[in-house]
Amino acid sequence: MNAGPIYTVEGVTKVYRTGEVEVRALRGVDIEIGAGEFIVLLGPSGSGKSTLVNILGGLDTATEGKVFFRDEEITGFGDRELTKYRRDHVGFVFQFYNLVPSLTARENVSLVTEIARDPMDPGEALEIAGLPRDRHDHFPAQLSGGEQQRVAIGRAIAKKPEVLLCDEPTGALDSKTGIRVLEALAQVNRDLGTTVLVITHNMAVGRMADRVIHFADGTVARIEENEKREAPASIAW
Amino acid sequence: MGVLDRKLMRDLVRLWAQVAAIALVMAAGVMTLVLAVGAQRSLFETREAYYERNAFADIFATATRAPERLADDIAAIPGIASVETRIRENAVLDIEDMLEPASGMLVSVPDDGQQVLNQLSMRLGRLPSPGHPAEIVVNEPFANAHGFEPGDTLSAIINGRKRALTIVGVALSPEFIYVVPDLMPDDRRLGVVWMSQTALAAAFDLDGAFNAVSVKLLRGQPPEPVIDEIDRLLEPFGGRGAHDRDDQQSHAFLDAELTQLQAMSYVLPPIFLLVAGFLVNMILSRLIALEREQIGLMKAVGYTGAGVAWHYMKLVIVIALIGVAIGIAAGTYLGRGLTRLYGDFFHFPFLIFRLSLDVYVIAITVSVAAATLGALRSVRAAAALPPAVAMRPPAPARYRRLFGGGLPFISLLPQTTVMIGRNIVRRPLRSLFTSVGIALSVAVLVGSLFSLDAVEEMIDITFFSAERQHATISFVHKLPADALYEVERLPGVMAAEPARMVAARFRNGHLERRLSITGKPAGSNLSRLLDVDRQEVTMPREGVVLTTALADILEIGRGETIEIELMEEHRETVQLPVSAIVESYIGLGAFMEIEALNRLMREGPSISAVHVTTDASQIAALYEAVKNLPMVGSITLQRASVAKFRETMAENLTMMVTIYVALAGIIAFGVVYNGARIQLSEQGRELASLRVLGFTRGEVSWILLGEFAILTVAALPLGWLLGYGMAYSTAEGLATEMFRLPLVIERSTYAWASVVVLVASALSALIVRRRIDRLDLIEVLKTRE
Ligand SMILES: Nc1ncnc2c1ncn2[C@@H]1O[C@H](COP(=O)(O)OP(=O)(O)O)[C@@H](O)[C@H]1O
Ligand SMILES: [Mg+2]
Repeated sequence: MNAGPIYTVEGVTKVYRTGEVEVRALRGVDIEIGAGEFIVLLGPSGSGKSTLVNILGGLDTATEGKVFFRDEEITGFGDRELTKYRRDHVGFVFQFYNLVPSLTARENVSLVTEIARDPMDPGEALEIAGLPRDRHDHFPAQLSGGEQQRVAIGRAIAKKPEVLLCDEPTGALDSKTGIRVLEALAQVNRDLGTTVLVITHNMAVGRMADRVIHFADGTVARIEENEKREAPASIAW
Repeated sequence: MGVLDRKLMRDLVRLWAQVAAIALVMAAGVMTLVLAVGAQRSLFETREAYYERNAFADIFATATRAPERLADDIAAIPGIASVETRIRENAVLDIEDMLEPASGMLVSVPDDGQQVLNQLSMRLGRLPSPGHPAEIVVNEPFANAHGFEPGDTLSAIINGRKRALTIVGVALSPEFIYVVPDLMPDDRRLGVVWMSQTALAAAFDLDGAFNAVSVKLLRGQPPEPVIDEIDRLLEPFGGRGAHDRDDQQSHAFLDAELTQLQAMSYVLPPIFLLVAGFLVNMILSRLIALEREQIGLMKAVGYTGAGVAWHYMKLVIVIALIGVAIGIAAGTYLGRGLTRLYGDFFHFPFLIFRLSLDVYVIAITVSVAAATLGALRSVRAAAALPPAVAMRPPAPARYRRLFGGGLPFISLLPQTTVMIGRNIVRRPLRSLFTSVGIALSVAVLVGSLFSLDAVEEMIDITFFSAERQHATISFVHKLPADALYEVERLPGVMAAEPARMVAARFRNGHLERRLSITGKPAGSNLSRLLDVDRQEVTMPREGVVLTTALADILEIGRGETIEIELMEEHRETVQLPVSAIVESYIGLGAFMEIEALNRLMREGPSISAVHVTTDASQIAALYEAVKNLPMVGSITLQRASVAKFRETMAENLTMMVTIYVALAGIIAFGVVYNGARIQLSEQGRELASLRVLGFTRGEVSWILLGEFAILTVAALPLGWLLGYGMAYSTAEGLATEMFRLPLVIERSTYAWASVVVLVASALSALIVRRRIDRLDLIEVLKTRE
């Protein structure tokens, strides 16, 4: 499964300028992420986790440094190439599910499968994400938070992306629901071989990862490797 | 300034583009109102003042030859303030700088220069002095068209004799604010020529007699009894029936123009205010939805519902006032311009500009009311929000499956298209109003630009299907039928057809109209009769043919019998069947077969005019001949007039098209821009999420703008329909006895109206598209709606 790194990050910095104020969100990040890995990003609020993931996902651009997706340097991409890159390779899951309220669960997934190269069936994706079949034709307004997040995961995996980037996917959920969502992510990683990156505040979540990257002050503080990944169900918080 | 007012200012600044779009729509409404009412009143005031200062008469009558002593009898009629007898005749004018002959209207002025009625406003020079029969005064537009000044000369064929005349003065008259030679205005070709009474009397053998009389009534005196009395007195002297100002050409034409301005002030402003009210409604309900939490906070700290409502009302009122201010400024400025334009077109010695303060007040009231009404629903909802509910985010929007999910093909549509469909259906009223707003913009264009089609159609029918002659030569008196051959022999005449005119009075019960019967040969090929379907009608050998307008006025139909009082020669009253009804857009008309008419007059074959077609290569020779033909009283050059008319039209066209395109563009732009901005505010988050998922800018824009594309396209047919309705009421409203617009709308007019609106919508969509392109992808992921 480990066919070389899927991401290579070299000396990436990010500076936000809002008027006079300069915020250095990333101060030189160097990491490699292997294909098929399950990575957890831990760190205090404001340490730059989201900024890094957004750059990896092609939502934002680095101020300095290079990011390679396999052999391609995505830091050199323009808007059109970034859009294509996101469309073809990346799946996103966010804290606020960002579903389209005017589309049903299944349609929200179809939205992506219609533009993907080799998608799975929307129903199948929802099933993998753990949404009961009788909910597939509900609108977001008719679903609970956990169900909405599972739709978001279904939508993210339906195009069979190489990476799944998740920014605090359980942040808005209670622990029981949160665990189900994490289980869905673990299953995707295991069954589809998708590389998964999960940002969280929760130390305990780190135990289900291959590696835990600790973030502080815009750089990688340390990297922790787990001998053995634990099942989400055994994680308590 | 309170904190809330500061918030209001900042809201206005932040929403400036939308505020401007709404204010512009309002401004357009206010502008048309102020412009139309301002110009209408200024013109009306100017005309009234002019009439007053120059003692414009109330009643006009003509006769063949009435003795001067009759003036005293007329003056003795109760209700009459003053009387002036005159001589009025026609002449052919021969002007050096002009190849073709011009028409002259000869009007006498008293020898002592003391005009009682219809006084001249001298612009240059002086009145003719007694004892100088060759001295004349001409009207200013005619003088200007030829560069005439006092001292210049021209020739005229007066009663069959060519005479050299010297211009001693240039003047304007309330009687000739607007004059047209051949149904079409052409200042070059029509001169009003004032001469001394003695000189004209000598020329027309009218010593001690008159053939025209004007009368001024005492204030409050109704004209009808006086008209009857004058008719009775003039009857033995060939009276052709007295009439009031309504039948006076210049007055009636000006009246029609004033009516048109008034119609403009009734029709257009409500459309703009309606649209503006709808836009206010949209923007405010969105603003209040976004500020729910703030409203809750305001209430929690002790603001009353009314206080909150007033805060939002103030915003709306400020928008309305911005619109009114722009509208009043533009309307007043353009109103002056329009009045000046009318002042040039019509001929006044002075212009009075009326500032209509009451209209300003009306404009402010109506605009604020429209905006307030538009805002009412959402403001009431804001006032009623309980603080606790207001602080919670609104429940997520509920969507329904299209057609209850029962249509299988919907699952085959791309999801982006399904999103568009559901968004349209989710807010049916908003979608409907958006479409109606866009449709109104199409309608404004169709309903105004159709008049170009109508005028073109009118010209086409009148001058190329019905009156196909190139010119009409009218004689001073009726002549034996042989005169036709004399005209035929003139150089350049290709075909000639006789016509005979007899003054008459038509009666059906209490309904009555005065107009000439025109006799035409049965097989006439130049001056033809057409039915309502434009098919040629052969002149029936029996009975009389009426135009639709005349038949409507007299409430008479084909096959019925009409009473005709012939007002020349034997003055008999006859009963004739109406044998056909024909269509005509200019004036009223009644026709008979020429021989039947001559029989009715108990006369041998006689004619009073000849219609001719001409050979363009010999036109100079023909004009030269006509200028020297004693029997010619006047000449009408239909072809030359049409060309001149088209030229004038083309000049006005650009301005008219620009104005209406701008007005329609403002509506379409306002509706689509505001709609798209609000939609963007509601859906921005959703769209940004789609961008994150890998949708391109184009795909994402389509979801939002596609909705407006669909609503715009759906609006077109409705706009065409509403435009047709507007055109219909415009045509009806403008119809006068002199002039009617055929209700013709070319397909190209519908097409152009649609193109203009599509372009305006596309432009506003493009501006919003730029905002969609700049959507912040990361921002939406951080915050909850
Ligand atoms: N768009 C932005 N403009 C300015 N500063 C930003 C922006 N996005 C993030 N930041 C700043 O960058 C730093 C890192 O933010 P972020 O990556 O969101 O941290 P984390 O996800 O670890 O909480 C923070 O100080 C944040 O305030
Ligand atoms: Mg973050």
